[in-house]
Amino acid sequence: MVREPVRIKWIWPVLVVIILLGVPWYLPQGTIEPVIMGFPYWAFISFLMTAILSLFLGYVINRCWDMETLLDNSSGKDKGGERK
Amino acid sequence: MKLPFIGWHGVITIVAYALFILGSTLYLATRGVSRKNLSSFYLANKGLGPLLLFFTLFATQYSGNTVIGYPAAAYRLGFAWWQSVPYMVLVIAGYLLFAPRLHVVSKKYGFVTPSDWFDKRFNSKAVTLVATLLMAYGLLNYLLEQLVAMGQAISGLTAGVIPYIYGVIFLVTIMLIYEWMGGMKAVALADFINGVVILIGVIGFVLLAWANFGSLSSATQNLIATAPKKVAVPPLQTSVNWISMYILVGIGAAVYPHAIQRIYAADSEKTLKKSLLRMAWMPFFTTGVVFLIGIIGTQAFPGLDKMQSEQLVGMMANVIAGKSAFNYWFMMLLFSGVIAAIMSTTDSVLLSLSSLLSNDIYGKVIKPNADEAEKVMWGKITGIILVFLLLLIAWKPPATLVEIFTLKFEVLIQVAPAFLLGLYWKGLSKTGVLLGMLSGAVLAGGMTFSGMKTLWGWHGGVLGLGLNIVISVVFSLLFPDKKEEQERAEEVYSWVVR
Repeated sequence: MVREPVRIKWIWPVLVVIILLGVPWYLPQGTIEPVIMGFPYWAFISFLMTAILSLFLGYVINRCWDMETLLDNSSGKDKGGERK
Repeated sequence: MKLPFIGWHGVITIVAYALFILGSTLYLATRGVSRKNLSSFYLANKGLGPLLLFFTLFATQYSGNTVIGYPAAAYRLGFAWWQSVPYMVLVIAGYLLFAPRLHVVSKKYGFVTPSDWFDKRFNSKAVTLVATLLMAYGLLNYLLEQLVAMGQAISGLTAGVIPYIYGVIFLVTIMLIYEWMGGMKAVALADFINGVVILIGVIGFVLLAWANFGSLSSATQNLIATAPKKVAVPPLQTSVNWISMYILVGIGAAVYPHAIQRIYAADSEKTLKKSLLRMAWMPFFTTGVVFLIGIIGTQAFPGLDKMQSEQLVGMMANVIAGKSAFNYWFMMLLFSGVIAAIMSTTDSVLLSLSSLLSNDIYGKVIKPNADEAEKVMWGKITGIILVFLLLLIAWKPPATLVEIFTLKFEVLIQVAPAFLLGLYWKGLSKTGVLLGMLSGAVLAGGMTFSGMKTLWGWHGGVLGLGLNIVISVVFSLLFPDKKEEQERAEEVYSWVVR
């Protein structure tokens, strides 16, 4: 089976959740403390969510994307246009 | 950026560095490049391996603005500028929306430019021409911005020993020579060298800044006492603005013409995957590091206004360089890093523009039956003429750097629906995609020209993209292509679905 990220539906809602949790819209405006490793807590959350985002995208690239080898093996690139 | 300490040493460094790039590219990257074949010249024969592909993606994406403009933005916005890290990571998510399919399709049909996709998919001269003109316009703006940055960096860093315009002409000439001789292969090799220098420069700089001006924690404590707004959870509108930036950069940077050409140029899917995998972590080492520089800078030089803050990196470098001979020469390396970042973006944009001129304007409109050698030559020569016209405009540089950065996205992002929808939905019609691109560009351009950068926190480019998608879909449903046209369009990509 050819694996293509856009056709694997669960990836995208998960991505949206990771993205939205990294933006401080849901936290009380004006708050700062605690400060963690020099980051105010909300920026630290955003830092962690960015790392999770990179990890997740890495997972998607490795596990949910495999097209070329399968397409090449099945009938070669040149005749691809006739295939349906 | 002013570094008066550098002067003549700066001149020597810059000349030596530029000649080193020229020598290495001419020696290593011109053999085996046919200047008579579009794919060989503009896409390195679609044979870029993992290392070169990664560095050319990386160095092209991060420009001089990243090194000079971004610390200034962090200085002004405080921790809300952390957004520059996730939005750069999201460029990879942007790629995942279309690159896997586009890569295999481009290999099958031998695409050279993004316009080749428009041509194959929509089979309409009007659609291809409008898309090509939008992309060329965006690329020209982008190139202009890089030329201005280049001139400012050189004249600032050599304390005016090299005047603005001579500095730009010198570096542009170097780039034009290696591009003329080696095309994409030379650009990728130059990007590799530049990429390494950028990384060493910014990471070294943050370590020295940390050691000389105090840690991140002390800068944060200082900000809490002096400017708590820069440390506190920002207002809702700023959060909306983050998300808008995510869409603008995440999708916009992925559909840059030169980014799309790097998807074509990857020698295999495995290579492309490997490069994108590494790219997903690079923002931590680039925009993340320069973010720290900006925050540390708030403690080193408090109270700068907007224009002064643009000089932040130069001010910090000056103090650091004054402390020891090692620091001095390390700052010289940072100086090369800034030039490297600008060069590596400029050469890629220039090559992409030249390919649009030769493959799409000349090859599809002016003289469709021209042979490839003629097309390549035409692209090179008109590219050079355009660069020199831009140089005349670049003489009068605009106000600050970060604001022009979003400008180019506004237009370039309008080609996105043709990829994001066109690769998956046969119903996307010529009429729909054409009206979509035009209405999106008009809205985004209109907002920009009227001085309205955002509306309720949303950028003009993102609102334009939203309108573009709605118009594309609605008009595709109202004015669909003929059934046989839809079937022909579907054949272009349907073979990948199995």
